[in-house]
Amino acid sequence: MKLNRRAFMGTGVAVATLSAPMVHAASHGKPKVVVVGGGAGGATAARYIAKDSAGEIDVTLIEPSRSYYTCFFSNLYIGGFWEIENLAHSYGKLAADYGINVVHDWATGVDRDAKTVALAGGGSVPYDRLILSPGIDFVDGAVPGWDVSAQNAMPHAYKGGSQTELLKAQIMAMPEGGTYVMVAPPNPYRCPPGPYERISMVAHQLKANNPTAKIIIADPKESFSKQALFEEGWQKHYSGMVTRIGPDFGGGNVTVDPAAMTVDIDGEVVKADVVNVIPAQKAGLICEAAGLTDGNWAPVDGASMVSRMDENIHILGDATNQGDMPKSGYSANSQAKVAAMAVRGALTGSRVFPAKYSNTCWSLIATDDGVKVGAAYEPNEEKIASVSSFVSQTGEDEAMRKATYEESIGWYEGITTDMFG
Amino acid sequence: MANTSGLFMSVLGGAALVLGVAYGWTARDYRIAELDALTERLAQVERSNADLADKAEQATALEARLSTLETELATALQAVEDAQQAETAPAVVPEADAETVLADAGDPSFGDPAKGEQVFGQCRSCHQVGQGATDRIGPHLNGIFGRRAGAHADYRYSENMQMMGSDGLTWEIDTLDAYLENPKALVSRTRMNFAGLKDPQDRSDILAYLRQFSASPQNIPEAAPTAQPREVDLAPEVLAIVGDTDYGEYLASECKTCHQQDGSDKGIPAITQWPTEDFVVAMHAYKRQIRPHPVMQMMAARLSDEEIAALAAYFAQTE
Ligand SMILES: Cc1cc2nc3c(=O)[nH]c(=O)nc-3n(C[C@H](O)[C@H](O)[C@H](O)COP(=O)(O)OP(=O)(O)OC[C@H]3O[C@@H](n4cnc5c(N)ncnc54)[C@H](O)[C@@H]3O)c2cc1C
Repeated sequence: MKLNRRAFMGTGVAVATLSAPMVHAASHGKPKVVVVGGGAGGATAARYIAKDSAGEIDVTLIEPSRSYYTCFFSNLYIGGFWEIENLAHSYGKLAADYGINVVHDWATGVDRDAKTVALAGGGSVPYDRLILSPGIDFVDGAVPGWDVSAQNAMPHAYKGGSQTELLKAQIMAMPEGGTYVMVAPPNPYRCPPGPYERISMVAHQLKANNPTAKIIIADPKESFSKQALFEEGWQKHYSGMVTRIGPDFGGGNVTVDPAAMTVDIDGEVVKADVVNVIPAQKAGLICEAAGLTDGNWAPVDGASMVSRMDENIHILGDATNQGDMPKSGYSANSQAKVAAMAVRGALTGSRVFPAKYSNTCWSLIATDDGVKVGAAYEPNEEKIASVSSFVSQTGEDEAMRKATYEESIGWYEGITTDMFG
Repeated sequence: MANTSGLFMSVLGGAALVLGVAYGWTARDYRIAELDALTERLAQVERSNADLADKAEQATALEARLSTLETELATALQAVEDAQQAETAPAVVPEADAETVLADAGDPSFGDPAKGEQVFGQCRSCHQVGQGATDRIGPHLNGIFGRRAGAHADYRYSENMQMMGSDGLTWEIDTLDAYLENPKALVSRTRMNFAGLKDPQDRSDILAYLRQFSASPQNIPEAAPTAQPREVDLAPEVLAIVGDTDYGEYLASECKTCHQQDGSDKGIPAITQWPTEDFVVAMHAYKRQIRPHPVMQMMAARLSDEEIAALAAYFAQTE
């Protein structure tokens, strides 16, 4: 009964959003926090502020999607281990159980003097503290021949949901003995092992359904995350299937033709059945629109994840330039907790402790063959610096690899509960 | 269940002492059958309670009870066997050939296998070692050095022991030493129902004794290996630190990225509602890299004594 009433009130707020230009109801004089982006960073920050301030702070979360499809573990869906539904999460609990005002709309700009966020649907939302966690967008012209209008022919599947489904459908529809090409991104980009875990999962899918198919990676990077582990795994499980063309052989000199479905790698034209273009990346556009970027990313101070350009705005996750942490869901979640503590401290005087950060990225190479890499971080004046790290070893036995995989499933449950309640 | 264990207890108390040697074997068979039945019933209880959270607690209590009963039974059986031996065999002291057994037994910093054999007496009710040793309540200990934890094929280990093995825990002189000192500090919820050997010399002696039954003694360092054991022997003042729960709550947010707050433990163990001391000891075991998991070692490495106490205090008070 109680839940129903709350859920109903949640809907009421959402309806009010559409009709009234001013999203915020009459101010109770409570401090206001607005969070833009309901992903790994934003959902966590909104939940921790709402939960730990116990009603002392008004929290509004602005996020266009009704369901968040995680990028993390989307490769398991491509590999056939998970269903697409396993990746979807609703914002219902954040509204119903935590009292967060969830507004399904795009933020189009930030008036930093007036301290308001403009919405695509019209109107604006005032804030005392703003948190931006918009994830990534792609750098224009990064792969000549490709732009977002070509993402149906040549999907990136580097933002969650429909793109992931599209890429998988294309892989499943490949002709026998067909060719899959990945155009890998230059550093820095979202999820360093992500493209290579994807290669593993595509290979796993093809080995079962289309074993004579070929996989080519055009890669502008000399080396990549967990390289020894991936290469060992590809050799062991998918021998002869995967070819990687590194920068020495022109892997960084790529143009594509989405109409002809060809990829030109340093003058060599490859006709492909699936082309997975993962372009160079930059901070989600709202950061640039708000004037908070320097180059492609938004610089922040690691002590509290506050923007180096505006003391009332914290920026989290992939969009930031913070130092040594990789752009991962785990990192964004870790950063969100530091920012949430700092924001509560500033607005309600709650205690603030020194920031600690960590990250672990698990990857699946084949059935029950999981590996991981991780590090702990602490901020200094200049950046967030790695203080210690570890990585899985080549040649580990099956029991350990299986335990690592099972642990990764546990992590997924843990982090999504930590984000969405 | 209560009836059965009541009956069982009286059988144990009565039969073992009164029937004595003459009926020793019959009584033993009978008790083993009882034990089998009890184990079977426990398995049934476990199965039928699998999805009922409140009943799970009962099952845990029963398992603990069973484990205690197992130990008691084993001790009683051992007493019966010892008595039988004493009666049938003339008092032959096994040839304690200290010279051939271990050349360096004279080194005081190294364990004395002959003394170790005596100390091992308290283990013998559950563990066999030596020629013809088989699994009993605990796995046999031949070849224990160098063996991966939880890896001996025929024995049914606790989930936590298996998990430690998958994480890379291998039985070497230092890990065995830590385990013997405080089994639950190294492997929480191990089935081994043993409080631990607090005296380092006892542990050195037992390990010196056990190492005779491992196939590759060349893997065992000849230099006094237990001279500087990596123990989880925490100073009382460390255990006495009263944790700051507010700070613990912030630090705990890092744990919750992986560990489920509702206590579920799929793939990653639950960490809520631990006794404070167990939590503190386990974290120090990771910090000193006695427990093997790399993520936990990394997390624990940068926690001060106060921070570990703060975390323990916070988790102890969560529901
Ligand atoms: C294939 C793949 C595999 C991955 N695997 C892992 C993994 O195993 N482990 C791991 O830790 N990480 C993994 N990642 C990385 C992880 O997904 C990201 O690092 C993480 O999602 C970053 O969090 P974020 O909050 O910065 O951005 P996101 O989670 O992308 O959230 C951004 C949100 O902001 C919203 N948004 C954007 N602009 C606006 C706007 N103007 N107004 C309102 N809302 C806006 C978006 O709709 C989105 O919901 C993987 C990524 C990929 C692509």
